[in-house]
Amino acid sequence: MSEPLIDIKNVSKEFGGGLFSRLAPFKAVSDISLSVARNQTMGIVGESGSGKSTLLRMVLRLIQPTSGEITINGQNVWALKGGQLKAFRRQVQPVFQNPASSFNPRHSIQSILTAPLEVHGIGTPAERRDRAVELLERVGLDPAMRHRLPHQFSGGQKQRIAIARAVILGPTVVLADEPTSALDVSVQAQVLKLFSDIKDDLGLTTIFVSHNLAVIRQVSDRVAVMQHGRLVEEGPVDDIFDNPGNDYTRNLIAAVPDPAFARRNRAGTAVHPVSPA
Amino acid sequence: MTLDINWRRWRLVAFGGFIVSAILFVAIFANVVAPYSPYDLDVANMLAPPSGAHLLGTDELGRDVLSRVIYAARISMMVAVLASMVGLIFGTIIGSVAAYFGGWVDMVLMRFMEVLFSFPAILLAVVLMAALGTSVVNSMIAIGIIFIPGFARLARAAAIDVLRKQYVESARAVGMSNTRILVREILPNIFAPLLVEAAVAFSYAVLLESALSFLGLGAQPPEPSWGNMLNVGRGFMANAAWLSLAPGMAIFLTVLGFNTLGDGLRDAFDPHLRD
Repeated sequence: MSEPLIDIKNVSKEFGGGLFSRLAPFKAVSDISLSVARNQTMGIVGESGSGKSTLLRMVLRLIQPTSGEITINGQNVWALKGGQLKAFRRQVQPVFQNPASSFNPRHSIQSILTAPLEVHGIGTPAERRDRAVELLERVGLDPAMRHRLPHQFSGGQKQRIAIARAVILGPTVVLADEPTSALDVSVQAQVLKLFSDIKDDLGLTTIFVSHNLAVIRQVSDRVAVMQHGRLVEEGPVDDIFDNPGNDYTRNLIAAVPDPAFARRNRAGTAVHPVSPA
Repeated sequence: MTLDINWRRWRLVAFGGFIVSAILFVAIFANVVAPYSPYDLDVANMLAPPSGAHLLGTDELGRDVLSRVIYAARISMMVAVLASMVGLIFGTIIGSVAAYFGGWVDMVLMRFMEVLFSFPAILLAVVLMAALGTSVVNSMIAIGIIFIPGFARLARAAAIDVLRKQYVESARAVGMSNTRILVREILPNIFAPLLVEAAVAFSYAVLLESALSFLGLGAQPPEPSWGNMLNVGRGFMANAAWLSLAPGMAIFLTVLGFNTLGDGLRDAFDPHLRD
């Protein structure tokens, strides 16, 4: 494996428990270490509440870890300042889960797509518009629709726009938080294909969070399994799915209702994955 | 697209809007609408009851009461508009900043707002006027300050809701500055409830301004205002009731108009009441 591009070292995140908090501290992520090599996709699976989204937001520099260190390209993400931080923002972009709330309902698609370029002072207004048009075409949408508001698009179209927004700054890392889980199965496949194509075209390094094992298997090179904020297992995607080394992973795989998928995993017992192994 | 207005839904807005626009029209064009100057004395005609020449009678100095009520609408509207603006602007800034930054900023700002809230409005107004000095401009500032906590709470609640949306996270992730996120992503999405609140604040401002003038803290005689006209009329209640009735009715109609408009807008914007 080549030098890791994203390196997560002993990262933990506790919520609550502050001086004035009435809640007991809650450990959303505890002591996770993971690394992702350049041009690879790391899938993170786990049931809801397992801390996978929190982990992703810490890599995005949206939630500060309680302890541990996250480096991208050798730079400590949480130590960045000024120009370096701006450069980081251009390099690392998210695709979020919920198509209904991922766009400001008051801005046109064009305005949503050009805003990142404006923030970074890239290009003239005309050049920014051209770039938005180009990307809309790339994700398979009619550029003539760019003056419409987000609510005029379907869920699948919105996720295409979200992918366009994520790559408009020319990032090297794209972090996807359940980008397809709110979509119909048929639309899901199209959006996944688009995501994979764009990833290959642009040579992106990605982390892909999902609770859907089939999706993870389709897009990932390696997979990490999380439960209750801990890393249960990590390895190449086929190894983990065909030969899970952990009870929780086995239960997770056995719980998949898709017969074609489960057939390969008869070893799994019928225990519900939520029950602690 | 056809113009499909649901009148049942908008009837309060239409009714309130009609009164409000009539009052605004009269206030703006007071010099055209008023039959006399509000300052012209007619000593031969003091305390004349309503007649063809003076529709609402004359006051103790022979000035035309209708003209004075009309000119007073100007001051009331001006104070109400500007005080609501002061409350809206500062309240929105304080509330959304508190919501956005959270933690200590939120604590300090909102506790301060609650301190302001805990004073009875009229008492706070009198104290502020005593500190600032009596003038129309100062009554605007004082009333505006009274409105700030209400707008701040509303703005904070609405902003907290918007902050949970993923587009705010996306904006952070592209490196948008805090100011830009507040202006571009948050403000446009919290404006509807604030505008409704502004309409209600407006009617309250008319009442407060009248109260201050009644107490002699707002507009100073001879400048006409509904409050100071009421105060003068109080002394002539027994023999010239029109002196108090005219400004009283003006206050009543204005407050009714703005309250109806505000309630109507609130209902019309409320998605739970869709019929």
